[in-house]
Amino acid sequence: MTLAALASVSVVGVGWQLGAQLTASQQTLATSVPAAAIGTAATATGTAATPSAAPSAAPTAAAAAPAAASGTFDGSVVHTRFGPVQVSVTIANGTITEVMALQLTNDGGRSVMISNQAAPILRSEVLAAQSAQVQNVSGATYTTGGYLTSLQAALDAAQF
Amino acid sequence: MSLDTRPTQRTRRHTSVPRIHPNYHRRMRLADGLQIIAVVSVALVIAIFLADGGASRFGTPADAITSLGVVTGLVGTDLLLLMMLLAARLPSIDRAFGHDSAMELHQSLGKPALYLILGHGVLLTIGYAMVQPASVFAEVWIMLTTLPDMPLAFVGLGLLVTVVVTSLVVVRHRFRYEAWHLVHLLSYLAVLVSIPHQLSVGTLFREGSVQRYYWLALYVGVAGSILLFRFIVPIVRSLRSRLVVEGVDPVARGVVSIRLSGRQLRRLGARSGQFFIWRFWTPKLWWQAHPFSLSAAPTGDALRITVRGLGDASSALSALPKGTRVSFEGPYGLFTDFARTSPRIVLIAAGIGVAPIRSLLETATFAPGQATVILRSSTADDTYLVDELTDLCRARGAQLRIIAGKRSPGVNSWLPADAVRAKVSLRTLVPKLREADVYICGPRRWTDEVVRDARAAGLPTRQIHFERFDW
Repeated sequence: MTLAALASVSVVGVGWQLGAQLTASQQTLATSVPAAAIGTAATATGTAATPSAAPSAAPTAAAAAPAAASGTFDGSVVHTRFGPVQVSVTIANGTITEVMALQLTNDGGRSVMISNQAAPILRSEVLAAQSAQVQNVSGATYTTGGYLTSLQAALDAAQF
Repeated sequence: MSLDTRPTQRTRRHTSVPRIHPNYHRRMRLADGLQIIAVVSVALVIAIFLADGGASRFGTPADAITSLGVVTGLVGTDLLLLMMLLAARLPSIDRAFGHDSAMELHQSLGKPALYLILGHGVLLTIGYAMVQPASVFAEVWIMLTTLPDMPLAFVGLGLLVTVVVTSLVVVRHRFRYEAWHLVHLLSYLAVLVSIPHQLSVGTLFREGSVQRYYWLALYVGVAGSILLFRFIVPIVRSLRSRLVVEGVDPVARGVVSIRLSGRQLRRLGARSGQFFIWRFWTPKLWWQAHPFSLSAAPTGDALRITVRGLGDASSALSALPKGTRVSFEGPYGLFTDFARTSPRIVLIAAGIGVAPIRSLLETATFAPGQATVILRSSTADDTYLVDELTDLCRARGAQLRIIAGKRSPGVNSWLPADAVRAKVSLRTLVPKLREADVYICGPRRWTDEVVRDARAAGLPTRQIHFERFDW
């Protein structure tokens, strides 16, 4: 019986250690995400500037102020522990007119449900605030984090 | 002089501390190994939760409740799988613990497993409702409609509650065995329908992960064991043995010995004292299976059981026609010479419990004068197989004692009232009891009293073997 206890304690200990390492690596990943997002955002600009500019936005884009581009811009893909998150943003005349989720956390039915509930809330908050500086949706911390990071990358690409 | 004393010293030490049979150590090593596997399997699911970063998800009350709900689900399911293994008639489990102890453990795990799984459902509903935020009832509806495979999971929970509630002792006795058993089989369905949500709702067993393969391997292992040892092995053995009723000998009112003949019976590896679960293929009896012990040592082509038929089965069993086909599961049980640890042996039986005692007496290893057989009954008339036992005791050099008389009401003893008054106990009945293995077979309450007496006499657990009947 002591052997069983000993084996159990070591098995749980190994699990604990693995979990601690995972949590630590997720934290470093989370802090490094903005930097990485800016890096990938460059490619987002590429796609946004040339092919995927919305037809309705394109003419206005030419006439608009040179600082902020108009059109649709894809954000970077942000990897969370519940799966990847990516959004695209549509900007017209210096206003954010639409935010669309291209990918949402999809690891397990529970996280699909959470992100499906959080996405509309985040969208309306972003449209109201006209920036990525909005409140965390409680219970959907990972989705919120990924969503806003990806959005910020898209906005940076649009030089919004 | 020194040459003279040494051997006597050695023999004295030999008798005062009886050498424990090597079988016992082998059996205990196997039992320890199985116990370690069981305990570590629980530790492993907790480790899986922790390895996924579970320890960091206790920050908010909602997170803590949700995480606790995940852990109770994991541990509860692991216990359910262990319970199913315990009931799967695994040969190694039977050899290490015996069928009775295995089923007792199975039974004692039932309530904890149910509480953990109920806790899993309740805690996760509360945890999810807190972050939503929604009322608990609204959350149940949200879970049922938006999460994958949740309706099935709720069905599984309902089935599990049904199975455990019908197995509570109070409720269980209101059912026929067959009806209860049919309900009990629903537990397989309960476990089966709860698998999808485990894989689809959470992130612990995400696709392609090692954890998912381990978890599925557990299920496959348990299902495979059940299929092999509860179905395939009994069917193959029954077909191969071609067992038929050879004859039915009346023993007493309602008690018969059923002689069975077949072929290649040595391959069953049956031992005196073991039981089989029998099915007699007559129009009246084929749908019931009964556990009956061997009342004679098994041979290569013949088995014998002695049966007291209760209720409607009684008349049908005594009228079994010659040539009736018999199928069986078994042999099971550790009520055999294999479990011996000591040179002497004491065999104690009440009622129809005499059956396995009779077969044990036939083949157990002991020198003449080292065995005692005690038959206990309320009157001298309701002992069975006494003539056979008398002959066997004479042939093998065992002492036979028949203790008849009613127990006094309100006194907890296995002995009659006058014996209790005279301070008779197992220790006074059997010389050198400490050097003996005691085998006890009888009704549950009575058996428990004998076991208590044996423990009071200072016998270690390894020297007490018992089998209790009631279903």
